Amino acid sequence: MTTTFQTTVPVESWSEEYGPELVRHVTRMLGTAEEAQDIVQDLWVTALRVEPDWGDGSNIRAWLYRVATRRALDVLASRKRRAHLLSARSGELAPDRPPAPDAAFGALSREAAAQVRSRVAALPCKQRDAVWLRWIEGKDYETIAERLGSTPETARANVYQGMKKLRGELAEIWNREVGR
Amino acid sequence: MTAACCTSYEDEDVLAWVLGDPAGFDDGELARHLAECPECLGRASEYRAMETGAVACRDGAVIRWRGFESPFGPTRIAASRDGLVELSWRAPSDDAFLAELEQRYRETPIVCDCDELTAAEDQLLEYFDRRRTAFELPVDLSRLTRFQRAVLGATASLGFGQVATYNDIARRIGRPKAARAVGNALGRNPVAIIVPCHRVVRSDGSLGGYTGGLEFKERLLRIEGRRDLLTT
Repeated sequence: MTTTFQTTVPVESWSEEYGPELVRHVTRMLGTAEEAQDIVQDLWVTALRVEPDWGDGSNIRAWLYRVATRRALDVLASRKRRAHLLSARSGELAPDRPPAPDAAFGALSREAAAQVRSRVAALPCKQRDAVWLRWIEGKDYETIAERLGSTPETARANVYQGMKKLRGELAEIWNREVGR
Repeated sequence: MTAACCTSYEDEDVLAWVLGDPAGFDDGELARHLAECPECLGRASEYRAMETGAVACRDGAVIRWRGFESPFGPTRIAASRDGLVELSWRAPSDDAFLAELEQRYRETPIVCDCDELTAAEDQLLEYFDRRRTAFELPVDLSRLTRFQRAVLGATASLGFGQVATYNDIARRIGRPKAARAVGNALGRNPVAIIVPCHRVVRSDGSLGGYTGGLEFKERLLRIEGRRDLLTT
């Protein structure tokens, strides 16, 4: 039996496996790939340093997403950058949607999750249906309109009205849960 | 928070960005704007943060409902993730049906169904059409009392066209003197037809009651070939 004091955190393999998608995710949030790469680079350093409690293997990705997203929001909230810095790089924006955040924030507490659901439950019927089908299930507006017996434009308006209502309340939960 | 200085982008634009909807502007332009406009930045962060909420909803409790035409008239069904919780042809409207559900599931989003309940609809229509004698549908009775669940469980074991008396059910659940309570429990069966409370009749050969309307109990027994039980 050998006992080696090796690095217990296989950062290199994570970097290979999750690096590209994390960069895309953060790029999408920030609008610039370069800053995204910086954030993701920092992530590996952090991972080495803090050895967070990530539980089983599937949570590593979740942890990485969570930290990366928090950093990105920090940047969004604090930066007063010149517009030209960004304008030069807008072409690098990833065209695809960010990965589903379920990997990122499995950590919402049971209590907070229940609060979110009750907020959605309290929306007016049409908005609730539309928000659910679009936001939760990712259906397109044609499908939603057909289901609700309306037009795609109306369906979209219903989604947006509902999302506006939810915004403040969910942001508060977000700050409490993820901003800690 | 509202009516601040920024008029470059509406909430709708920021939402389109977050939801990945087609929009009348370029992603990069919005990103550049966010760098300069604290107000829009705040909105964008908040809308983005809402994606955590989407996860909480996707993984949590939800009630789906669906309405369709059946020989009994406008028929509506609802289900939790575990199974059917409601079948009704008594509600006068979608709104009335929903209001009743909302009353019962206050904290749970109740949303219209896209395709998860089509199997239930199909099976019911096949039953009405005499092409089906048993349902392969899970039911969720977790909101009921232990006694109600016992009664409905015993009732669910009655096969197509097979009837039992209220006394039989009472005996089967080990409460031989509770025939009247059995009747009450069956009267509050939230998933009629699926849990076949219409197959429970009185010991004297009369049909007893039916919350959905006695004529419907007769029609169901007729579908199942039990005209012998009917007086008319």
